[in-house]
Amino acid sequence: MSEAASTSTETGQAGAIEPRIVAFVCNWCTYTGADLAGTSRIQMAPNVRVIRLPCTGRIDPVFIIKAFERGADGVIVSGCHPGDCHYLAGNYHARRRFTVFREIMSFLGIDQRRITFSWVSASEGRKWGDVVNEAVARVRALGPFVGYRSLVEKPNAGA
Amino acid sequence: MTREMHISEPDLRVLAEDLVRGGTRLIGPARPPGKDGAVVYREVKGLDEIVLVGDPPARSLKEFFLPPTEVLFTYRQKQGDVELAPAPHVFPPQVVLGARPCDAAAVSVVDKVMDWDYHDELWFGRRQATTIVSVACSGGDASCFCTAVGLAPDVAKGSDVLLVPVEGGFHAEILTEKGEVFVAAHATRFAAGGRSEAAMAYRAAARGKAEANLRADPAKIRAFLESSFEHPIWEGIALRCHGCGACAFVCPTCHCFDIVDEAESVATGARRRNWDTCQAAKFTLHGSGHNPRKGQDCRIRQRLMHKFAIYPGRFQEILCTGCGRCVRICPGGMDLLEMLDRIGREPAAPGEAGRGAP
Amino acid sequence: MQELRELAKKLLLEGTVKVVIGYAEGRRGVLPIFAVTPGEAGRLIFDPRCVQNLATYLSPRREQVVALGRPAVVVKGCDARAVAGMIRESQRSRDDLVLIGVRCGGVLADPVSAVEVSEATVAARCPGCDARVPKHVDHLVGPLPPAPPGTSALDARIAELEALSPGERFAFWRSELEKCVRCNACREICPMCFCVRCVADKAQPQWIESSPHARGNFAWHMTRALHQAGRCAACGECERACPAGIPLNLLNRKIARVVAERFGYSASGDPESPAPIGTYRPEDGEEFIL
Repeated sequence: MSEAASTSTETGQAGAIEPRIVAFVCNWCTYTGADLAGTSRIQMAPNVRVIRLPCTGRIDPVFIIKAFERGADGVIVSGCHPGDCHYLAGNYHARRRFTVFREIMSFLGIDQRRITFSWVSASEGRKWGDVVNEAVARVRALGPFVGYRSLVEKPNAGA
Repeated sequence: MTREMHISEPDLRVLAEDLVRGGTRLIGPARPPGKDGAVVYREVKGLDEIVLVGDPPARSLKEFFLPPTEVLFTYRQKQGDVELAPAPHVFPPQVVLGARPCDAAAVSVVDKVMDWDYHDELWFGRRQATTIVSVACSGGDASCFCTAVGLAPDVAKGSDVLLVPVEGGFHAEILTEKGEVFVAAHATRFAAGGRSEAAMAYRAAARGKAEANLRADPAKIRAFLESSFEHPIWEGIALRCHGCGACAFVCPTCHCFDIVDEAESVATGARRRNWDTCQAAKFTLHGSGHNPRKGQDCRIRQRLMHKFAIYPGRFQEILCTGCGRCVRICPGGMDLLEMLDRIGREPAAPGEAGRGAP
Repeated sequence: MQELRELAKKLLLEGTVKVVIGYAEGRRGVLPIFAVTPGEAGRLIFDPRCVQNLATYLSPRREQVVALGRPAVVVKGCDARAVAGMIRESQRSRDDLVLIGVRCGGVLADPVSAVEVSEATVAARCPGCDARVPKHVDHLVGPLPPAPPGTSALDARIAELEALSPGERFAFWRSELEKCVRCNACREICPMCFCVRCVADKAQPQWIESSPHARGNFAWHMTRALHQAGRCAACGECERACPAGIPLNLLNRKIARVVAERFGYSASGDPESPAPIGTYRPEDGEEFIL
């Protein structure tokens, strides 16, 4: 891994610090939709790292915590529209889980503007592009998530 | 080598200010800032924050010598190799002002194991940087039992200077070389002293109060523990215990730790040691799934044996100073005074004893 | 509490139960006892110092307690919610248990030094309680004391925190959660934390750092609050057990309110009522989803 990758943000061309965003997406809808966005040459901000899962129902909220611990400034969670889930009900369960989890995060002081939830279907390539661009702009305006990374003091600044 | 002096309260206040101004970290029993929380040992900026005589602090001095989590070294993976870098450990000078004698004694009890098979540089680095000025306790509350384990509310063990409250200030006993250095550095604050009747009366009253809670014979307790591994007393004694480990974490002498490697990124991370407790089920859980201490009864037995039989056997010290924190904090109502009292009344060999539930 | 003692003795003598789990006077206050003889049952009491939630002793993980045999357990309304939760999630079966409900007027925040319930001494979770007479129990004993006085300090404090900015809230929780030493008292005492292998103990891979620094502690407490959502019986034991004085009731109560507002569900003493997480409605709200 390069040195730049071990720091938590990169500097974009304008000199502003570019946010790193992790997206947890379901394979059947959003991942396919993101693929469509790519093949359609829709211009999207490059800050998003996509992690593919079978279903939003597989997304344990602890993944979001892990993303922030490891240096993400923002998180996107996206899956099939209710009623379209490949596994029938995974996204319904996810919806309840995330309804609660965002309140937990918010109560503990994690700014919910860093987190984006969306339903993006396999044919909604344009929507995915919009979700990504809007999320990146929003998180860029908030700045790097220094607060979370400072929860542990670095034991040795040189390491 | 004990020297006796006197320090007035105003002088002690100035001494505290001098310490802080000189860059020494001052630690004392104090309430959390702006809250009504329990008194704990914490860094303070002046004498007014310190509760010199009163309820024992909710936690012990242990965390200033063995932090709840501590980085041992960091690592970085580079081109198929691993670089290790010891974490920089700095031990700035610190003074504990207002330590309870039981807590000061506990630190010197744990010194033994920290220097046993391995000289723990981190523990002793902090020990060397710390001067402990204790204040004799007035006898504690109903959960204290220091006298039952061979100590006392005014015990000198582990302290560098012992202050005994008298009118207008404190009678000061300088107990160690470090104590002499400390007093010499603040010589103008101390006045010549000598035997103080008031101090002796205070100490005698405190001892009387503490003794009332529990009379025990540590040798008899040890003999029972060493011969009663399968005794029926263990069956019922731990029924109400939750295995939460709160007792171990507030205990001034419990010192077990876990070592973990924690990644910060794909290539870098740190090795830490973290507080651990033998009361947790997974403390002795093997990789195979077998657990030699499967039930809470085994774990409570282990706790008592370690503190009152094994550690004394190895180091001639009881791994308990009778501070009573475990009793106060236990959410399940486990009571060490009751357990020791019960054990003390059992014959050393297993006999007609009944079920363990009191 | 003659009524309670007579009932307990009767249950033991008849052989209906092998042990009565209840409260008794200890050396320095009230503690839980496991009465297996009528003599021991004669020690049972109930008063505002009885803060412990005895439902936690019903967990099948506690093998020594299970070995005592079929239990009767003394439960306040909040405790009964925990028992219902354990039955709902198949940890115990209803036929296995005898529930002795006690009518309650609130318990003391500090049962060692206080004696009588007043606005100043009552536990923060008690005011406004709607379970003072436990339902779904086999027996009901004791007179009904007056309702716990005052209003919940918890709700007022939650409102104060909600009025802060995210950064200010984060600073507050950071200062609280930094104190956590990961003793897991909150988990071990909780009747609903009955997993044989907690996710926090998982090491391959490890999702929740075990070190007691603020980062690991945030992960632990957020995860526990999530896993308690819709299940927490609001018995307050986690906060009582915490040796570091962390205000866990604030977090659990806040999430209980979220569950009530969003899913119309409150922890109930009825084991038949369905739990909100693990079920769903197609019309659940999703205004936060793009």
